[in-house]
Amino acid sequence: MGRNRVAIVGAGMTKFVRRAQETAKELAWKAASKALESCELTLDDIDAVVVDTAPDAFDGIHMNAEYLSDGAGGWGKPVIRGYVGGGTGVFAAIQGWYHVASGLFDTVLVVCEEKMSSCQPHPQGAFLTIFDHTTERPLKPNLLWIFALEMNAYMSRYGLSKKDIALVAVKNKRNAADHPAALLGDPDITVEDILNTEVLAWPVQRGDVSPISDGAVALVMCAEHVARRVTDKPVWVEGVGWSLDTAYWTNRDLSYPTYVEEAARMAYKMAGITEPRKQIHIAEPYDPFDYKELHHLEGLLLFDKGKAPEATALGITQRDGDLPVCPSGGLLGVGNPIAAAGLMKVAEIFWQLRGEAGARQVPGQPKRGVAQAWGDLMQVGTVIVLGI
Amino acid sequence: MSLMYRIQHPRDALVWEGEIPLFSRYTMGIAGERFFREIMENGRLMGTRCPECDLIYVPPRLYCEQCFAHLDEWVEVPSTGQVHTYTIVHADLDGNPLEEPRILAFIHIDGTDGGLVHYLGEVDPDQVCIGMCVEAVFKDKAERKGGILDIAYFRPVG
Repeated sequence: MGRNRVAIVGAGMTKFVRRAQETAKELAWKAASKALESCELTLDDIDAVVVDTAPDAFDGIHMNAEYLSDGAGGWGKPVIRGYVGGGTGVFAAIQGWYHVASGLFDTVLVVCEEKMSSCQPHPQGAFLTIFDHTTERPLKPNLLWIFALEMNAYMSRYGLSKKDIALVAVKNKRNAADHPAALLGDPDITVEDILNTEVLAWPVQRGDVSPISDGAVALVMCAEHVARRVTDKPVWVEGVGWSLDTAYWTNRDLSYPTYVEEAARMAYKMAGITEPRKQIHIAEPYDPFDYKELHHLEGLLLFDKGKAPEATALGITQRDGDLPVCPSGGLLGVGNPIAAAGLMKVAEIFWQLRGEAGARQVPGQPKRGVAQAWGDLMQVGTVIVLGI
Repeated sequence: MSLMYRIQHPRDALVWEGEIPLFSRYTMGIAGERFFREIMENGRLMGTRCPECDLIYVPPRLYCEQCFAHLDEWVEVPSTGQVHTYTIVHADLDGNPLEEPRILAFIHIDGTDGGLVHYLGEVDPDQVCIGMCVEAVFKDKAERKGGILDIAYFRPVG
């Protein structure tokens, strides 16, 4: 299959905050214009625009991505919106990739925005209809049910304690203290702090969960001949993958994300990766909950099943460990404006591989990284491998 | 044999009725906040100007959608305009007939590149025409709350 090589050449983001005064359009514009400025391009250089947001109900605007498209630079251009729930942020970069890899466009602006503070009384209400309307919704479920059942299944399968899992929240919130855009960075947070937060749906406590947030992130992606002209530090998209498991969460293995493994295998094959544990130097798995980082690290084949908690306890996933994981601070620390949070992970790998991550920079000049997100009906994995 | 199972009445099949219990609280944004505060406090319309593209945006925007410049040049614009197009609304959202038909128009604001959708008042439906010159009627200051309804309606000028 003939595919053109695709590079990321620019990235920008807004702060992630609890309540932004900016409209969705204004948030998108801030991120998109920062991404353009970062590679000294203008809207005239952009051939097409990918604008992705997660559920319209968060912003409270039907066709939200289309609505904010002018803020994303879409005026008078071919614009597409993608949506795979929480997996949207990484999927947006995949969409940007195939726009360019196909040869249809040379330079594409990829923008993700989410404004969850509009959604009252609580954004989780927007998720109620992801439950089956006749077998589950009469039980009055809330979104945390899925995660609580999944976390418990994972803990029970491998004999894990709450403390084993809370270490992830501590690591990521501490990492986020070095991120200028972070909402919940805290350099001094401890395991006890996490374990002392209120129980929401056992075993999920407040400290295990990423915060509701507003924010936007943007990337500039382009073909090789443009990338060579724009920058001497292109970051190449080496592989992409995505996969959906069954829509029946009662028929999934809740202790292992098979959909992430399938997406990772697709991306690794494209990238020519045969030994991910040696060939991947840095990872940004999706961490809306602390146990999900562990889950996803295993699905990404970076640790054996049930072994990611041990690696976390040993410090392997710290910023200066053998495999830095979520050096950005992740969703737990930077914040979780859904689609924007996923794209933030791709942007973080971009900055890390270019050596531009500032105080967050991992040592050892990493050459290849993976970003991953998860969503839809909690059964999609989206994966992108970047390298220099 | 049909391709679908049909039911004649809603209660012919077992159902469970649910709803999505949500409402939204929309900020007006950085540009919108100033626009509506000017209406509320000073009874005037403002726009933002893009010097690069020579455009005046009404409602005002924080950025130019054509060149992406940050717009910080605020200009007062007239509260007059022309009816670009209109409709006469006879039914409410539920399809029930309105006691009085309402006239809804897109009004191009004079001297700008934008406009507002709003009601027309002090005019009979059969007198409205495209191109008609109209002006904003602001509510009394005490009644203004910071929103598009601080303009009661537009009415014909002259």
